[in-house]
Amino acid sequence: MLNFSKKHNYPGVLICVEGIDGSGKSTQIELLYSWLKSKNADVILTQWNSSELIANTTKKAKKKNLLSGRTFSLLHAVDFADRLERTIKPALKAGFIVLADRYVYTAFARDVAREVDPKWVRNLYGFAIKPDLAFYFDVSPRDSLERICSNRQPGYYEAGMDMKLSNNPYKSYVIFQNRIAEQYRNMLDEFELIKIDAKESIHKKQELIRAKVLEVLEKNKIKV
Amino acid sequence: MKAKEKVKKTKEVTKAHGYNGMLVVIEGTDGSGKSTQVNLLSQFIKDKSYGCTVSEWKTSRLISGVINEAKEKNMLNTTTYSLLYAADYTDRLENEIIPALKAGFVVLMDRYIYTAYVRDSVRGHDIKWVKNLYSFAPKPDLVFYLNVPTEILIKRLIAKNGVLDYFESGRDIGLSTDTYSSFEIYQKRCLEEYKKLKKEFNFIELDGTKSQEELHKEIRAKVQELLDSGFVS
Repeated sequence: MLNFSKKHNYPGVLICVEGIDGSGKSTQIELLYSWLKSKNADVILTQWNSSELIANTTKKAKKKNLLSGRTFSLLHAVDFADRLERTIKPALKAGFIVLADRYVYTAFARDVAREVDPKWVRNLYGFAIKPDLAFYFDVSPRDSLERICSNRQPGYYEAGMDMKLSNNPYKSYVIFQNRIAEQYRNMLDEFELIKIDAKESIHKKQELIRAKVLEVLEKNKIKV
Repeated sequence: MKAKEKVKKTKEVTKAHGYNGMLVVIEGTDGSGKSTQVNLLSQFIKDKSYGCTVSEWKTSRLISGVINEAKEKNMLNTTTYSLLYAADYTDRLENEIIPALKAGFVVLMDRYIYTAYVRDSVRGHDIKWVKNLYSFAPKPDLVFYLNVPTEILIKRLIAKNGVLDYFESGRDIGLSTDTYSSFEIYQKRCLEEYKKLKKEFNFIELDGTKSQEELHKEIRAKVQELLDSGFVS
């Protein structure tokens, strides 16, 4: 898998959080970010599907339901490649701690849940940099549905409506997100993801994450 | 009886995609005369009363606008360049090419995945990675390759456009700060890559310096042969 199978040699550190929507990963990475900031560390936060190059196009195409499993996959890969070259790599070269809210594992889980070939999508992201730490927030799709639906209906792609699993977006969401969660669980060993039980308190989860992060920073001689 | 058996054999050997229609590709670098040949061939096929549709590289409703804009703003790196073209192709494949093939059309491709193989290899990507990227692409029934030497390409493009295109000159990969020499180096590398693919994918190589009419005659003879064999159902 080209780059992705080996450890990077940059002075910085790359840390990512993964999990289905409503698993609490964004809350955790934001807490981590502000903590590192308060310690005056060189740190940046990058989000999935946020590149200047393509994020708006993808969002528009999603609104119009124009995407197939493969085009969905490719457009997200474009977004990732753009952020990798313009944000992540330069920051790592400059010795930054790079925090990524979702990383390639999101693509591996979602695209395969959309019946894209797992080997194909892993090869697609072969140019990615292997993270130093990857946390997976394990939550049941029912609990995640409750969280995201407190203020809205699940989105078309989020609910996997393109997969024609059910006409009911709520039912479809649970079936589809279950498929994604299954893919994540299959990857725990494959990519050494650190599993975090989403049911734990915010405080307890953050303590655990900080401890792991400190370990990795120390190993890479980054002082905070 | 004998003729029929022969027909059957041709079908089995060459029709890898399994659709009713026929997939014909014309490949070559910029200025090799592809588009002219595609137009002439399309007219010929329609005159023969077969359905025919043309799909050009980088024309998907989903993504072609993004590519053009990003090129203008100089926002592309070699990976996003490669992936955007793959997305463009995939969108056309799913929405234009496969539906037409299923409906029994002859689908003419002005450039196909080989263009990506060539351009992405020249831009430093591992050919294995690129091949995986396009691994779901249906195999064409005929691939014509218009081979034109670089010296003639340059003259044609200057006469046609007045300028040498930034990307067609490979300026994005910093081969030279001089457009002319960058174009020369880039196009020569592209020709080398095409040469490698020629054998692997059974290209029918044509001397692109011949006249349009001569080339058309050669192309249409091959297409007619396949049509007459009952290839399209």
